Amino acid sequence: MRADGLLAMLDRWGRWALPGAVLLFFVLLTLAPLRAPYLSGALPLLPALVVFQFSLATPERLPGPLLLAMGILLDLLLGGPGAPVGVSALGFVLIRAAVVNNRRYLVGVPFLFQWFGFCLLALGFVILVWFFTALWTWTAIDPMPAMMQYVVVVVVYPLLAPLLARVRARDPLNVPDESRGTAQPGETTS
Amino acid sequence: MAIRDDFEVVASQVRTMVQRFALGLLVIASFGAMLVGKADSVLVEHARVLALDLASPVLEAIARPVAAANRAIADLKEFASLREENARLREENARLLAWQTAARRLENENERMRELANFREGPEASFITARLVGDSVSAYVRGALLNVGRKVGVASGQAVVTGEGLAGRIAEVGEHSARVLFVTDVNSRLPVLIERTRERAILAGDNSPRLRLTLLQSVAGVQRGDRIVTSGHGGSFPVGIPVGEVVETDQGSVRVRPFADFSRLEFVRVVDYGVTGLVSGGTTVPAAPPAGVRIR
Repeated sequence: MRADGLLAMLDRWGRWALPGAVLLFFVLLTLAPLRAPYLSGALPLLPALVVFQFSLATPERLPGPLLLAMGILLDLLLGGPGAPVGVSALGFVLIRAAVVNNRRYLVGVPFLFQWFGFCLLALGFVILVWFFTALWTWTAIDPMPAMMQYVVVVVVYPLLAPLLARVRARDPLNVPDESRGTAQPGETTS
Repeated sequence: MAIRDDFEVVASQVRTMVQRFALGLLVIASFGAMLVGKADSVLVEHARVLALDLASPVLEAIARPVAAANRAIADLKEFASLREENARLREENARLLAWQTAARRLENENERMRELANFREGPEASFITARLVGDSVSAYVRGALLNVGRKVGVASGQAVVTGEGLAGRIAEVGEHSARVLFVTDVNSRLPVLIERTRERAILAGDNSPRLRLTLLQSVAGVQRGDRIVTSGHGGSFPVGIPVGEVVETDQGSVRVRPFADFSRLEFVRVVDYGVTGLVSGGTTVPAAPPAGVRIR
């Protein structure tokens, strides 16, 4: 490890903090009182999309404990008396694990495959949250709104994913080769 | 080259193993969080309020751009139906003017009657105006975050109203923030009166845009178009805040459409009826004039 200049160090920190910061932003955006039809309903699922997208190339920058903290924060902010706190954390951790263990089907493949992978994982996430919320509040919750959310977020994915991939792939100036991310040139989406 | 490939394969295997082990711990930790939340709801409540207070300045900062975006979206929508909207408003204005006349006459009459009967009014309500800085609307919750908290006298259980009618009640209060639970939320139960028959009932939400009227003595007396108002029973709600109107009565189930338009809330008023202050020993009454605007 050779001594880096201050800028390079800041740069590397920035790159390491970026996925977490983007995730935090989307967790907070969940609460924004946006009144766009359909889209505002799907906001609570966007953090899951971010977790999926960043787990594709740089899972080491979204460590498990961070996902745990973000998921719990999301559940606390989203609220609802009696709703389980930590179910989103469970979902995030499982999404990351699923992506990491199936990299060869998801990384460096046509976009359509990635989209399909996201469809499956997001469906799992929605069902998980629905199941635990119903169990914890012990009421039969109508699954239709959750399914609407799911459909919207699946449609939004092709719009948002390339954007996030761009953010992720951006190479800052003056980075020594050793401090570059592990993502190979062919690994990013779009 | 081959050695390097081998090394990479081994390294990735080791990494996968570590990750698999970590996954178990993380899953256990999130289950632990859920169980703790189920067992100790007070702790979770505190954590919620803390998270709310931390997030509320950030939300307030993005509230303006979000409001601008919302206005742009609403403008686009309204632009398409400007002519119809104008005609509708003109008609409504005429109708409301007639009502205004009637209301003035009744108010005068009412005042005189009260004088005659030596009627004692309930505690006077004061309002705290709040901006809606966050939605907590998901597939499971119907609520919102306000930028006022305990500092200006907001307390748990107070009514939240819009110009049209009741929106919900305060569920959680932080120092500078509060969470409203809308009447449409599945956890909302509201004691109400049917305005025409003065019959008592409970208005329950189920996360859909329509409310359900339950615990009714008899469904037969309810008609479409009946107005539902708060009854003031059991709490800090003033009597007679309009809530909604009956839109559907069949097979013993009565559906109510709330007057408040939850899709375009920006400012709301928190009604401080003074009753909560009495219950908790008056500690919630702020000493200094509040930062929020008091209207009355």
